[in-house]
Amino acid sequence: MEQLTWFGAPGAIFAWPFYIAAGLFFLAVAASLVGYFGNVAAAMAGADGAKAATAKISSLAASLAKWPGLVIAAIIVLYCVLSIFYGAQERGIAGNVFMRFGPVWITMIAIFAVSIALKKNLGLYGKLFQSPVGMIGFALVVFWVLTALFGAFDMIVTHDPLDQIARLKNDPPGSPLPSTEDGEYPWFLLGGDNLGRDVFTRMVSGAGVVITIAPLATFFGYIVGITLGLPAGYYGGRLDTILSFLANLILAFPVILLFYLLVTPEIVQTGIPVFMAAVFFIFPIVFITVLLNSRYKVLPHIRNPLLAVVLVLAFWLYLSTVSDTTRNPGTFLDFFPSGIDLFNIPGGVLVVFIAVVFVNSPTIFRIMRGLTLDVKNRDYVAAAQTRGETPWYIMLWEILPNVRGPLIVDFCLRIGYATILLGTLGFFGLGLPPESPDWGSTINAGRKLLSVYLHPAITPAMALLSLVLGLNLLADGLREQSLKD
Amino acid sequence: MADYNGPILEIDKLSISFFTQAGEIPAVMDFSCTVMPGEAMGLVGESGCGKSTVALGVMQDLGVNGRIVGGSIKFKGRDLGAMSERELRDLRGSEIAMIYQEPMASLNPAMKIGKQLMEVPMIHQGMAKEEAYNLALEMVTSVKLPDPARILNSFPHQLSGGQQQRIVIAMALMSKPALLILDEPTTALDVTVEAGIVELVKELGEKYGTSMLFISHNLGLVLEVCDRLCVMYSGEAVETGSIEDVFDKMRHPYTQALFRSIPLPGADKNARPLVAIPGNFPLPHERPPGCNFGPRCDYFEEGRCNKGDIPMEGIEGDDRHDSRCLKFKEIDWNAPIVASAATEVTEPGDVVLKVDDLKKYYEVAASALFTGGEKRVVKANETLSFEAREAETLAIVGESGCGKSTLAKVLMGLETASDGDVKIRNLEVSKTPIQERDTNTVASIQMVFQNPFDTLNPSMSIGAQIIRVLEIFKVGNSHAEREGKMLELLDLVKLPRAFAKRMPRQLSGGQKQRIGIARAFAGDAQVVVADEPVSALDVSVQAAVTDLLMEIQRERRTTMLFISHDLSIVRYLSDRVMVMYLGHVVEMGATDQVFAPPYHPYTEALLSAVPIADTSVQKKHIVLEGDIPSAMNPPSGCPFQTRCQRKDKVAGGLCEKEVPPVRMLEGGHQIKCHLPQEEFDAMEPIIVLSDVAAE
Repeated sequence: MEQLTWFGAPGAIFAWPFYIAAGLFFLAVAASLVGYFGNVAAAMAGADGAKAATAKISSLAASLAKWPGLVIAAIIVLYCVLSIFYGAQERGIAGNVFMRFGPVWITMIAIFAVSIALKKNLGLYGKLFQSPVGMIGFALVVFWVLTALFGAFDMIVTHDPLDQIARLKNDPPGSPLPSTEDGEYPWFLLGGDNLGRDVFTRMVSGAGVVITIAPLATFFGYIVGITLGLPAGYYGGRLDTILSFLANLILAFPVILLFYLLVTPEIVQTGIPVFMAAVFFIFPIVFITVLLNSRYKVLPHIRNPLLAVVLVLAFWLYLSTVSDTTRNPGTFLDFFPSGIDLFNIPGGVLVVFIAVVFVNSPTIFRIMRGLTLDVKNRDYVAAAQTRGETPWYIMLWEILPNVRGPLIVDFCLRIGYATILLGTLGFFGLGLPPESPDWGSTINAGRKLLSVYLHPAITPAMALLSLVLGLNLLADGLREQSLKD
Repeated sequence: MADYNGPILEIDKLSISFFTQAGEIPAVMDFSCTVMPGEAMGLVGESGCGKSTVALGVMQDLGVNGRIVGGSIKFKGRDLGAMSERELRDLRGSEIAMIYQEPMASLNPAMKIGKQLMEVPMIHQGMAKEEAYNLALEMVTSVKLPDPARILNSFPHQLSGGQQQRIVIAMALMSKPALLILDEPTTALDVTVEAGIVELVKELGEKYGTSMLFISHNLGLVLEVCDRLCVMYSGEAVETGSIEDVFDKMRHPYTQALFRSIPLPGADKNARPLVAIPGNFPLPHERPPGCNFGPRCDYFEEGRCNKGDIPMEGIEGDDRHDSRCLKFKEIDWNAPIVASAATEVTEPGDVVLKVDDLKKYYEVAASALFTGGEKRVVKANETLSFEAREAETLAIVGESGCGKSTLAKVLMGLETASDGDVKIRNLEVSKTPIQERDTNTVASIQMVFQNPFDTLNPSMSIGAQIIRVLEIFKVGNSHAEREGKMLELLDLVKLPRAFAKRMPRQLSGGQKQRIGIARAFAGDAQVVVADEPVSALDVSVQAAVTDLLMEIQRERRTTMLFISHDLSIVRYLSDRVMVMYLGHVVEMGATDQVFAPPYHPYTEALLSAVPIADTSVQKKHIVLEGDIPSAMNPPSGCPFQTRCQRKDKVAGGLCEKEVPPVRMLEGGHQIKCHLPQEEFDAMEPIIVLSDVAAE
């Protein structure tokens, strides 16, 4: 096998049209920017005529930029379609990467087709498809979620994320393997890292780590924040004072220092993170119990069986999570018979998870408390009070559903922050094991040789950037659409 | 420009549309009106009829989505649409000024009043600072604010709502505008404060010769302020003319229906019930062909009224009196109202609710940071005693801060009384918070809330909400049974059963309020506290909801406590009235007793303040000074003494020293006042109907 070029044979066809379109595009964008700032300056100077003239230039340039932009998009699509018809050697690196993501593209097209067709009946989610910003954000997020999903089934990766091929150490993208065994992928598509591992594979596997930990940790942070924020806002008084003080205390502590403390081996050995996990994981159980109990309290014949089933399941999951034979053998946290212990969370992951929950929950607590303070004076809350509803029913069924808009938006943003936080932790080498393919650790590993070999660090960095950008755009789109009616 | 003699404002065939994702939504269509110098023009209509859009069109401030799609607006002969942004900026605030509903939103909270006022002439006329200050001082004096120098040196939040609105008026008048646009300027204020503002606006209009465009939903207010009015319905002007012509010789069915649906003196819930306008206000994109009012009109003629656009047509013999009705020449406008079945007077039964010496005090810590500091007591309710019988309506009247909401909270069990008894059918509940009340007690006293847009949980379907109430009140044994009961409740409030599946946002305000009523009656309530149930609804819907409430009450013999500040509706539907001021009951008696002399001075002022949309009503004019004192810091002696117009009739400053005792007059009529008996005997009625309407 030979070294791959970036765009291969189909790329050669489009090279010149692409350069011309790109050049025009940047020219037009620059002109519209100049026009816009000229416009602002004219408005400040109060010159009506100059303002009108620059406004005209600006809008003209903006509409001019549209055409080269469309041409660029068309070329990209054509290139992708064409590369299907070429052999692996001819289609180049970009074409091969596109082909590896095949299942992701097919699923994304299906999701978008169904969603756009049914957007009228899908509530806020459907409205997302009316906003270009929201759609782009959603596409980026879905791309990474699907990549993580299919990556977990070995559908996208080309090699094993931990396999090392010494000959390919720091080799550039598109390097062929020295010797190919049967069924083995013959290239390192995005090159090899400093230990000779496939950068592309590690990026895709890293997506799996990031996509599981960040949303889950944020979700747990939410459960903790909501369970404490609702009563603090609803009851107010001393409870509110104490909880708010604790939240402020945690928020006042430097986050990175907190992480260093939490993941220091000495602290881990005292068992503090594991105990914190044991406490945090109690919250979902409390939450769901209170949620169901308050709703079905007046209907005991439904509540009793329902709560029994849910509680047994929840406790089973809880004990499986907390009890761990590998981590603290012999301690009292190793109590659950391994036969029914469903899973064990690796120690490093658990610590990172706890750290993210711990620093996120105070902020969520404050958001929730503020929203509760706002909504609790509504008449429908008073109506629920006057018919004798329990406080928890009012909090969870009258207040919580009606503040879901801001919470969903914040949830998206916060997954982004959590992703960055994971990256930061990985970058500092905290928590996750050094060979972990998560993006933060790989960026850190690639950093050392950054001036010589760019590709091992830039690949996960771009991945991290696009996911966080996607989450932020998604949040923007959701906010914009939720404000519309 | 100074010697311009023509009309100040000429609007000709104006059409305004908003462009949204759903396409073009016409907000105003073919609207014409002319305002002459010194004339006050009223724009009346229900919410969504486009009256505020007209005002924004005049200001050329329609936002990103709005655009004028036809017609012209001329100000002093100059077309506003053809002016540049700069010319408009010079005009706004100096030649045309606008006053909005919410005074606090028009003032910059971070800037002192004086600076905000001085800005106006300094920007528009380049006036020097001292001169501007003197002008500001003069203006604040002319809007009758006490201690102008101090006011100029204070921030907006240090003033009360009424004072803020006076400042906004002063600001609008700083540059002596030729046209003043007032968009519901008093809706956010209390009635007695409103009366003061209305009087001020009228006076200033006369003093400075300013033309006014007065936008309101309240016909009574328009009658007091304006010379001419224009009635709008669903984006169109339907009738325009002088006040007398439109009020007494209306020539459009909508105007007529509007007047029949508001409780004027003489209407009575049993003998002469209100006539509600059937149906609902059409949404802008669902307007019917032809006459917009067609589907709700009694005189509707198929094939004629829904055939095409209907032009405004002048009425001969009247001064600029136009109507947008094809049939106004054929309709017999003097035909008597088809009496919608008069009902029998229901006899009140046993006492259901008995309140004895009820007191509710709140303790407020002087400083929130350090407890243990000085504590202040807010006396929200002071020795309230009253009874309410089965099938009786007891109205509780008072302005904000009078303690009526606190009373409702104590009755419902959301707060516990500091002292005294509350008995529901001989069960003492004043010290029992709602969590400790049993299901029956909770179900027996229920509430209908004021704000229809807030009364239903937005994320739960209508059916699910009613079923939840039934579950809580343990009505029915199975889900199917409760569902059946829920559908019956929808029938009871005259809503289609299909509404069970709808979400609250799909309902109009009136429909939501009906669901609120269904919810209150779900557990067979014996006492229903209705907290201003119709005040947030449009006039044409108010009558229907009121009638529904009365009908259910009559059927189920429920005791109703009707909390309101609107004396017209109170007179229409209540059997007995209780007037409250700063936590005290100042007057209580049967409706006829309260609405006839002798009055408590506060009731007298309140009666005089309420605008009545009837030209035949003669009112005595009493305007109270100042604002309602804060309950945190009540005046000594009689709570009303700071604003009382008859205080000088009591010898020895007794009013400032002692809280007056309750005086029992004949027929169980109570008044809490120090006035000597002769004063009471000499009182004259506030509202007098002239002969035409009295018979």
